[in-house]
Amino acid sequence: MENVTLKLNGETRSASVPPETTLLRLLRDQFNLTGAKLGCDVGDCGACTVIVDGKPVNSCLMLVGQVDGREILTIEGLATADHLHPLQKLFEHFGSLQCGFCGPGVIMSAKALLDENPDPSTQEIRDALGGNLCRCTGYTKMIEAIKGASCILRGEEVPAGKSA
Amino acid sequence: MADKPKVVDKPDVLQRPDILKPQAPAPLVTFPVEVVVPEGRQQTPAVGQRASRADGRLHGLGQTKYIDDMYFPNMLFAKIKRAGIASALIKSIDTKEAEAMPGVIAVITGRDIPCNSFGPSLKDQPVLADTRVFHAGDGVAAVAAVSEQIATEALEKIKVVYEPLTPVLDPLESLKLETPGIHAPSANIYGHKIIKKGDVEKAFAESDHIFEGSFRTQMVEHVPLEPYACIAQWDANGRVTIYSTLGRITLGRADVGRTLGIPMSRVRIVATVVGGNFGGKNEIRAEPALALLSKKTGRPVKCVYTRVEEFTSSTTRHPLIMDYKTGVTKQGKILGRKIRLVLDGGAYCSWSETTLGKACILSAGPYNIENLHAEAFVVYTNKTMTGAMRGFGAPQVCFAYESHMDEIAHTLGIDPLEIRLLNAFDEGSLSPTSQKLHSVVVKESLLRAAKLFGWNGLGDAGKGNGA
Repeated sequence: MENVTLKLNGETRSASVPPETTLLRLLRDQFNLTGAKLGCDVGDCGACTVIVDGKPVNSCLMLVGQVDGREILTIEGLATADHLHPLQKLFEHFGSLQCGFCGPGVIMSAKALLDENPDPSTQEIRDALGGNLCRCTGYTKMIEAIKGASCILRGEEVPAGKSA
Repeated sequence: MADKPKVVDKPDVLQRPDILKPQAPAPLVTFPVEVVVPEGRQQTPAVGQRASRADGRLHGLGQTKYIDDMYFPNMLFAKIKRAGIASALIKSIDTKEAEAMPGVIAVITGRDIPCNSFGPSLKDQPVLADTRVFHAGDGVAAVAAVSEQIATEALEKIKVVYEPLTPVLDPLESLKLETPGIHAPSANIYGHKIIKKGDVEKAFAESDHIFEGSFRTQMVEHVPLEPYACIAQWDANGRVTIYSTLGRITLGRADVGRTLGIPMSRVRIVATVVGGNFGGKNEIRAEPALALLSKKTGRPVKCVYTRVEEFTSSTTRHPLIMDYKTGVTKQGKILGRKIRLVLDGGAYCSWSETTLGKACILSAGPYNIENLHAEAFVVYTNKTMTGAMRGFGAPQVCFAYESHMDEIAHTLGIDPLEIRLLNAFDEGSLSPTSQKLHSVVVKESLLRAAKLFGWNGLGDAGKGNGA
């Protein structure tokens, strides 16, 4: 068994699991954080995207041994008890998600982008979502919501647009 | 007499919601609980108001629970062994070694299914193949174990002896009457539709030009982000509850009742938010097998398909082979059209009949054609099951008749927009099956679209080589 200790959504957590356990399974099966989804288990679809030490990763491709001592942020760690993150608020407002399955992965990729690049262009947003597949929406409203969230985080008003 | 409800004036300009401005918003969670109760008998005009999806907030929080997000105490995990061979007789299945593996609680095969056939119309699909394999994605055995990993390892220990048969992979081969029946004694042609209108041969004789075109579309998989997932468990009163990504739960209930040989009143199916369906989750897959595993083990059993299984063992969009022959005047007016469609109907019928019907009716296109002969066949092949997928045959024929139209226009040197305006449906036009059509806006839409993307006609560039 592999013993891992990590900082998960701000809290120190530990687990003792078989060494072949992926971060995705650790989150879902051990810690009951089912926001990260299993879409392909081979790193193609991005539904399992979480943030490890500030970088977006496919958690289905990381083994638990690789996350020992690291800081993980999942969709469950984005909102506080009082407030939604602007990404979550605007995804809701713009209607960016339909079935919602790709949602947590997309939002985490967007969060990682905005943490690094507070004023991304549309192309930069597209590139950041390049590893997240969505079969329902066509991505357009996600991009609008991410653009809008970047405004809010910079302290600006979201400009009027097609969906605002 | 009750007061009339107060109508709130509709604001001239919709207020921009506060969340679009960078100000500190009100907290979500208030304690003690504060709930806004609207004033009684207040009516607000709904039209023009912004509506929010009810599930939007939950999705964004990652709180939406899909079937795979559900866990039950003492739950087991099931995996299904896939045939991996397109066509074969099953001589024997030996599950002893798998059953003896530590952590494996139960193994079942097709022989354990009380009534091993189901389907939305033709009941030609087994839950688990028992005597014959019809396509490589067929399940031949199912294992329930304490972990997914052990269940997957157990599959390798199940020994199946096959007698390979020559598979039929080409629908045109399957169309031939001399090809052995895949589902013998049933014929390979399991669906047929024909639409006849007017006299198509006479129309061809009167045409200035005859065009022929042959078009094919490929098999397409829905790839919903959420793979199929299902959990089955029984209660002490002999009722099974099945949590499933299944869309048509009433049909599923009938199929589960039938395959398990129990009354439908003993079957409860719970569906929840699905992670994409697009037609691929319209019928049961492993529900009866999981129910049996749950009955055998006395524990809840969950199965989640791998992405590979979504491709090999779930329904797909029918590939179509479409042959068109159209007679036109030199101005491009269609006088007659003859169509033959061959649908690759895969290993099982599934929703092929609906697909066949729609494809045949829509194959002529949205055009006024007085003389029509459209014939469509759906045939078995030893390939992945073909079933419902967004459009049921409409997208495939659309590709064919519009490509065909473009080819005709190009050869005659006619503007592809003009040729369509010449032939397209009007208000009150009759469909190929003589349905009178209303709310027809084909021409208006074409003209509007052409204006929006700046279509100015062919110019010199578009002149064809004539005919």
